[in-house]
Amino acid sequence: MSAAADAVDAASPHSRPPHPGRWRSALAITLLGVALVLLSPLVGSVPIPPTEVFRIILHQLSGGAVYAQPCAGVTDSAPLCSAYVEIVWDERLPVLLLALLAGAALGISGATLQGVFRNPLADPYLLGLSSGGALGAAFVYVFRIGEAEASLVLPVLAFAGSLGAGVAILLAARGRSGSVETLLLTGVALASFLSATLTIVLLYNPTGSLQVSFWLLGGVGGATWNRDGVAFGGILIASTLLVLHGRELNVMQLGNDVAQSIGVPTARLRQRLILLASLVTAMAVAFTGVVGFVGLVAPHIVRRTVSSDYRVVLPLSAMTGGLFLLAANDLAVTVLPGTQLPVGIFTSFAGAPFFLTLLYRRRQASTMGDS
Amino acid sequence: MSLNPPSTGPARSISFAWFAVAVLVAAGAAVAATAAYFEIRQNHPSASATTMSLTDDVGRTVNVPVNPSRVAVLSPSIMDSMYRLGLRSHVVAVDCYSAAFGGLSADYSSDQVSLWNLSSSMCVQVGPTLNVEQLLAVSPQLVLASTIISVADVEEISTTYGIPVLILQPTTLSGIVLDVDLLGSLFHASASASLLSADLALGLGNATRVAQNLTNAGTPFPTVMVTYSPVAAGSPSPGYYSFGPGTFGTSLIELASATSISANSTLPYPELSGSAVLAARPQFIVYGTGFGLGLPDYAQGPDWSSFAAVQSGRAIGLNSNFLTEPDPTMILDGLPALLALFHPGVPV
Repeated sequence: MSAAADAVDAASPHSRPPHPGRWRSALAITLLGVALVLLSPLVGSVPIPPTEVFRIILHQLSGGAVYAQPCAGVTDSAPLCSAYVEIVWDERLPVLLLALLAGAALGISGATLQGVFRNPLADPYLLGLSSGGALGAAFVYVFRIGEAEASLVLPVLAFAGSLGAGVAILLAARGRSGSVETLLLTGVALASFLSATLTIVLLYNPTGSLQVSFWLLGGVGGATWNRDGVAFGGILIASTLLVLHGRELNVMQLGNDVAQSIGVPTARLRQRLILLASLVTAMAVAFTGVVGFVGLVAPHIVRRTVSSDYRVVLPLSAMTGGLFLLAANDLAVTVLPGTQLPVGIFTSFAGAPFFLTLLYRRRQASTMGDS
Repeated sequence: MSLNPPSTGPARSISFAWFAVAVLVAAGAAVAATAAYFEIRQNHPSASATTMSLTDDVGRTVNVPVNPSRVAVLSPSIMDSMYRLGLRSHVVAVDCYSAAFGGLSADYSSDQVSLWNLSSSMCVQVGPTLNVEQLLAVSPQLVLASTIISVADVEEISTTYGIPVLILQPTTLSGIVLDVDLLGSLFHASASASLLSADLALGLGNATRVAQNLTNAGTPFPTVMVTYSPVAAGSPSPGYYSFGPGTFGTSLIELASATSISANSTLPYPELSGSAVLAARPQFIVYGTGFGLGLPDYAQGPDWSSFAAVQSGRAIGLNSNFLTEPDPTMILDGLPALLALFHPGVPV
């Protein structure tokens, strides 16, 4: 970007550096995150003593060199010890990592789309990305396509459906003015069309309908180390490319005319950002299903507590989104003992009141400040 | 404020982006390799010395331990077969419908949970959602599941944890008998399986014989509507969910020598409007009961009181499980109940 953009960027109200109080907010989010990451492996349907959990983690990380007998003092039963190791190492830790990754993907995608569309209601599913992913998943559940290789086929089809929806919108809007309104309306129309197609498909298979319904509520329970590895690579690359566009997003907030006058190719930039946001969303959708509210709420939390500068909003939205989804998943496995509820229920149940509280307090503070 | 971009700006930005991409690709590959290493390194439960290869109802070939002593049964219909075969003692985990209700609605006892001797602590699956932690905690050697289980869960259980998963989901009435035989050979319970299979074959044979006798005598088959769920009049889409082609409900109706008014629908589970039922004028209406549904719910459906079958007292409730759960109870209890309803006085 040009020096002119730098100058405008510096003058933009969106790019004012956070004052010290805001840095404290960022630090608080970070500390909360560390605490949450440490506590989450302790949470699950099967009660395992906390010390035992950390012994198992150290045992596995060291290849058995540390705590050679990880269950000593807890249980003498070899099968139960083996079950504990599997639960902690192969179940809880991959779930923890996937929650962080998928939440981060949704958070940064939401922040990007809110910046691109300059619309606070924009989120990763506005453009029909969830409907595309759900249609892809439905093909596995309803037609039992590739059932034997479901661990590969399901995320691939969901990814293809989700990304395909994003690409279709860009192609459909390409020949037109390419304006924000055209893109938004194309996305809404496509989402509606895909949802109707999904309904028709599900009418022919009620069993598939139930599974797709649960998939639509989202969850990170299907996490494995391999899936986490794939998700980590894809989400990290796409997210980093998005973070590199923080300054351009700041300039875009000043309007098309200003941005274009200083040499920022807004139409092309918008397409590139939407494509990257679609890609990162599709990576999350592929492994977690549709998890709502994270992409909407995470950027707002960052903007309201830390800064509106997109160079800060983008990475912190990723962090906030990851922690938000992890906290929601912890609630999903603990609220009803013995029952694992879809995490999407809790992102909305816990997220909506929290979000409203944040909005209300800020409004109250503004009102008091005004008077 | 200068509006002239410095010439070095874009080049620097692009090279940094490529550098970042290269670093992150390497990081992603490293993490994926590490993850794969840990996944490969983990200890899978060693396969039992005595295993057998079976093909399940969805065509998967699975190596399973012979006569496993610890089995997770994730479907009420499979639990029905296990109980009837005297294999309850092998069951260490079940789905929550079996644990809470003894199936979606009890098949043959008002207190079927006690009869099956199940407790809520054994429940590891709600609908398609499997609680993998609780499943692992009971160390099952084998999982028996229906197709309601998520395909991703099947992969995770069998690949990550090395626990074989056998899908038992018959698509025909004779498939129920085949699954009973399969369980019998798997659990070394051939004697009890043979007895149960004989009972099932007898039930199917009797129904076929009745149909043949009625056809020979020129007796027309009655038209029927079998519904398992109403949508109240006044709702945006009021009607009665029924059975279409290829479903167990329709197979049962045909085997009970009757003709379903929705047998030729384009959907497997169509919703019939009130006017469609009025036009078809079924001689009998069978409505599914249990799981919170009863006559008052159906009576709120569109045009219910106008149906000829209702006015003539030929609308009868039947346990929904008899019509929907593909298990021995469907043949041993559901089929005779329908025959007695449609053809009273005909010996079965």
